[in-house]
Amino acid sequence: MNETCYIDGFGPLPIVKPDGVASLGDLIRQAAARAAALYPVGGQTSISIGAPPSKAGQIVDLRALAKVIDFPARDMTVTVEAGITMKHLSNLLARENLRLPIDVPHADCATLGGILAANVSGPRRLGYGTLRDYVIGISALNDEGNEFKAGGRVVKNVAGYDLCKLLVGSFGTLGIITQATLKLRPLPELQTVLVLMGEPGQLEAILTSLHVSRTRPVCVELLNQAAARTVFAEAKLAVPDTSWVLLVGYEGNADAVAWQVQQLVKEVGKQRRIDGRIDFTAKPLCEAVVELAALPMIETTFKASILPSATAAFCQQVDREPQRPLVRAHAASGIVYGHWPSGLTLAQAASMLTTWRDLAVQGQGSVIVPRCPSAWKTTLSVWGQPRPDAWLMREVKAKFDPKGIFNPGRFVDGI
Amino acid sequence: MTTATATPLAERMRGIVGAGNVLSSASDLVVYECDGFTIEKNKPDVVVFPSSTEQIVAIVKACVELGVPFVPRGAGTSLAGGCLPVGGGVMIGLAKMKRILEVNYRDRYAVIEPGVVNLWLTNHLKPQGYHFAPDPSSQGACTIGGNVATNSGGPHTLKYGVTVNHVLGVELVLPDGRVVHTGGPVEDAPGYDLTGVIVGSEGTFGVAAKAWVRITRNPEAYRTLLGVFETVDDATNTISDIIGAGIIPGAREMLDSLILQAVEAAFRFGFPLDAGAVLIMEVDGLDAGLDQDAERIIEIAKKNNAREVRKANTDAERLLLWKSRKQAFGAVGRLAPSYCTQDGVVPRTKLPLILRFIQEMGAKYDLRIANVFHAGDGNIHPIILFDERDADQVKRVLNASHAILDECIRLGGSVTGEHGIGVEKIDFMPKLFTPDDLAMMVRLRTAFNPDNRCSPHKMLPTAGACIEQSKAGRRAAL
Repeated sequence: MNETCYIDGFGPLPIVKPDGVASLGDLIRQAAARAAALYPVGGQTSISIGAPPSKAGQIVDLRALAKVIDFPARDMTVTVEAGITMKHLSNLLARENLRLPIDVPHADCATLGGILAANVSGPRRLGYGTLRDYVIGISALNDEGNEFKAGGRVVKNVAGYDLCKLLVGSFGTLGIITQATLKLRPLPELQTVLVLMGEPGQLEAILTSLHVSRTRPVCVELLNQAAARTVFAEAKLAVPDTSWVLLVGYEGNADAVAWQVQQLVKEVGKQRRIDGRIDFTAKPLCEAVVELAALPMIETTFKASILPSATAAFCQQVDREPQRPLVRAHAASGIVYGHWPSGLTLAQAASMLTTWRDLAVQGQGSVIVPRCPSAWKTTLSVWGQPRPDAWLMREVKAKFDPKGIFNPGRFVDGI
Repeated sequence: MTTATATPLAERMRGIVGAGNVLSSASDLVVYECDGFTIEKNKPDVVVFPSSTEQIVAIVKACVELGVPFVPRGAGTSLAGGCLPVGGGVMIGLAKMKRILEVNYRDRYAVIEPGVVNLWLTNHLKPQGYHFAPDPSSQGACTIGGNVATNSGGPHTLKYGVTVNHVLGVELVLPDGRVVHTGGPVEDAPGYDLTGVIVGSEGTFGVAAKAWVRITRNPEAYRTLLGVFETVDDATNTISDIIGAGIIPGAREMLDSLILQAVEAAFRFGFPLDAGAVLIMEVDGLDAGLDQDAERIIEIAKKNNAREVRKANTDAERLLLWKSRKQAFGAVGRLAPSYCTQDGVVPRTKLPLILRFIQEMGAKYDLRIANVFHAGDGNIHPIILFDERDADQVKRVLNASHAILDECIRLGGSVTGEHGIGVEKIDFMPKLFTPDDLAMMVRLRTAFNPDNRCSPHKMLPTAGACIEQSKAGRRAAL
């Protein structure tokens, strides 16, 4: 194997591409014997997340494991190998009028295994939940190179421990995910996005009125001016001239969507401007919002998880900082992202991170740094202070991967 | 465990929680010898009712020191022996920890103690238009701590998910007395989703002392329909077609002909006695859009040869349609002195196959088997009617039950959709999972419960375990 690659400046690490589960098992056994590490990757769309690797080893490219194992569309489940790209998967599902309702940027590159490991989510998590709500079965290879599974292929099943939950969001540190069975949803008849314009003093009032609205939005996305400018430009739409923009999404059957659009206009339309984008005109906007996190111009990203009720104040506060980021929030879920193009210095980033973390504590939450220049990672704590249950996480890691083969050093608390 | 060692144990427990919160006399303990799975019985040496996390910690530490096992218990409504005190020891009854500690509507969560009864929380939230989504049929009695342990389901799971989809965090007293707090009201806490594996661990990871749960807005409106079908196949095909059309009904309950006859004999709803199956279908959500869904459902039912489709036009009519379903169990009592049920799951499209198989097993073992279940998720609950005084019948019931569960596995399903493995189905675990699968589950348990002191001999097969499983001892419940 000649190809090599760096992860966060650590390397060069040779890339190996197993052609199946058997050869992946061999790789794991060899790594175990040599006390080396394996860094599993798919399309590398989430590779920037995490601390630098702590041990020499190999990168394992899983994209050759991309078979569709079983797609009983009428059961609304699908079983596929982990290396399949999300684009390929969603095209397959759409042919049967189905989907996995998870927003994934770079879907043409991102693999299912990668998004499971990184627990990728987007604006529509408000309406549909996250990956943990859709994985009903999972297979992975353990530290001995043997395949293990949990769950099954039926939507309701409580036999055995739910290792699906454990592996989703484990960043490849407990085993290498090889296959998953997903619960699916029907494609909605209609999609709509309403664009609400707001000024700083009004944000909490708008979010509260959405919270008590008779309508049931699937997303409530809050963008500051810089983020809105980028999103609307990407969608080739005129940029709203206001300091904050809210994108409120509705999906479902035509009657229900039409009623909700009218209802929201009735509820909040008197006080503020609303613009509606229905069906195909909504799509470019939805796509641009999902892709925002992955735009190549973004060099540094912070992600705060806080209480939804703290979101408006948090967003306004971080928007007042001197190095103003693109601020975007899944506002009803309490997830706030700040994106900076290049030009930020390490000192500025470090000071900003302190501000974010202080503010997040007030919202009972935390801040991670999913993306920044690799060199900064020795200074910035990308995962933040370990949570009080970190010791139990280390205990789980020690049981699953006692030799430290899988993605060592990259996850929380040095896992 | 002998009485001689039990007494100092009881004294120790009285020192922690006070004499009024400890049961140790044989007559008191008999109440706690089993849950809804009644065939395996074993009395704990002592039952303790703590009222705080600190007391749970003290109890657990005392158990470690004295070398006795312990098992948490909510209301004991579980159906697979999950709170059977295998090996005796201390039963930690959580019924007195029943406070709703916080409700935050703006951030859509509640913090509750484990002994809060499922329906209390929903009733508490009702004035604000919210509810706790998991609604097992025991919801008037079962505790949320028990729901967390067993990952309870209910009739609305296909649309709204099971308990794990609504639990945000847990405060857990580990089997060595340490307290760990996983997750919480804020989403996406960095690290492993420990909450996700604690839910459904059937009490084998420790004692939940507190839980953060999601609260859900109530649907604004319902449309309830009842379809009468010639055959079970037509009814199940209707469900598949409805879901295939992109409509996910909040509830879909199926009653087969044997149940119909019993219901009709008891309550005279006017069902045709020669019908093969009745399907109750309910869509819920915003009022707008529901008529569109309901019309589509009627169309699909008719295409699948529905003899008639009744639609409830008023709340009173809706309640009447549901009455036939809710009283089905009472009606079963008229058919036989005893009955037991199973909790198999198959992929939804395999429902006609498994129902035909169940019918064949009824013929083969000369048993009457009735079916009433939440049809949309493939979770079956065949009710086998028998007379427990007849040993030969009991044996045939067992054989038929095992054959049905084996067939569920063969069709790509599972042996439990919502009741759990407990002690009852341990023998099926090696049929569902490979030794490698089970070994990883043991590794996980070891991280939480290395000495297997908490709920020993549950869920995972243990070499040398001395429990005989799978007897026809469970009362039916859905």
